[in-house]
Amino acid sequence: MSSDKAHAAEISLERAHPSYVGIWVWLVLLMVAGVLASRLPLDHSAVVTLIFAIAAVKAGLVALYYMGLRFERGVIYAMALVPLALVVMLTFLLLPDFVFHHH
Amino acid sequence: MEAIATLPGAAAAHRGKVGIWWFLASEIMVFGGLIASYIISRMGGPGWEAEAHHLSVPLASLNTLILLTSSLTMVLACAAAERRDLGGVRTYLLCTIVLGLAFLGIKAFEYSGKIAAGILPGSAPFWSFYYTMTGLHGLHVLAGIVVNTLFFLGAAKVVRHPHRVEMGGLYWHFVDVVWIFLFPLLYLA
Repeated sequence: MSSDKAHAAEISLERAHPSYVGIWVWLVLLMVAGVLASRLPLDHSAVVTLIFAIAAVKAGLVALYYMGLRFERGVIYAMALVPLALVVMLTFLLLPDFVFHHH
Repeated sequence: MEAIATLPGAAAAHRGKVGIWWFLASEIMVFGGLIASYIISRMGGPGWEAEAHHLSVPLASLNTLILLTSSLTMVLACAAAERRDLGGVRTYLLCTIVLGLAFLGIKAFEYSGKIAAGILPGSAPFWSFYYTMTGLHGLHVLAGIVVNTLFFLGAAKVVRHPHRVEMGGLYWHFVDVVWIFLFPLLYLA
């Protein structure tokens, strides 16, 4: 009976973990997609948008499944997302001064 | 609001996780500030594409594959620690360490080629950013290798306290995430 409980606990633990190798396969495919996207005969800003969108998906997969953010909540999520939001804000707030300024 | 980490029932594992995420939050600001500066500077002036053509996309792609694979072996080491699998912990940690060293080896090869060609941090703003961002990232990889080596040497203790390698894993995956953005930023864009 105790071995059945141990076995059930082991299965439960395995179900709690995603397929790490499956995630890795997706990461590699996305990496290849990003390299190929950089070679597309498109407008430069479209290419840049595409490769950074791919990078964001890769980062999301690592954060959600390898770093376990998918199974966290509350303060852990806040510590991951608030600095990210601040960095994005910083970038956009500086754009008018350095990129779009008029002499 | 009572700080959760100081509640009497808070496990050491949770306090450690909150601590490491607090550290990673500060690291996001460090690398985020550098990346924001690079994006602003590059959008604000011409000529950066010409400099970036000196970089090797195949080498950087290999490095990206190495770091992604090291994230896999690191998370497998954490899973092995949860299962109290000492052999698995040692195997996967060793793989992570070797892959990290391979990443740094390729980076050193890239740097030496650039330096031999006279491309130094002061050569152009692009190279100043390149050396600073990849150099800082490389130091973080080195620190992660040191921590993982300590875990490897004390693997018997790690399987009794699996949350420790989980915290090391969080740091290692963060270093991987930074490279996931540096790779397209410097080599592809």
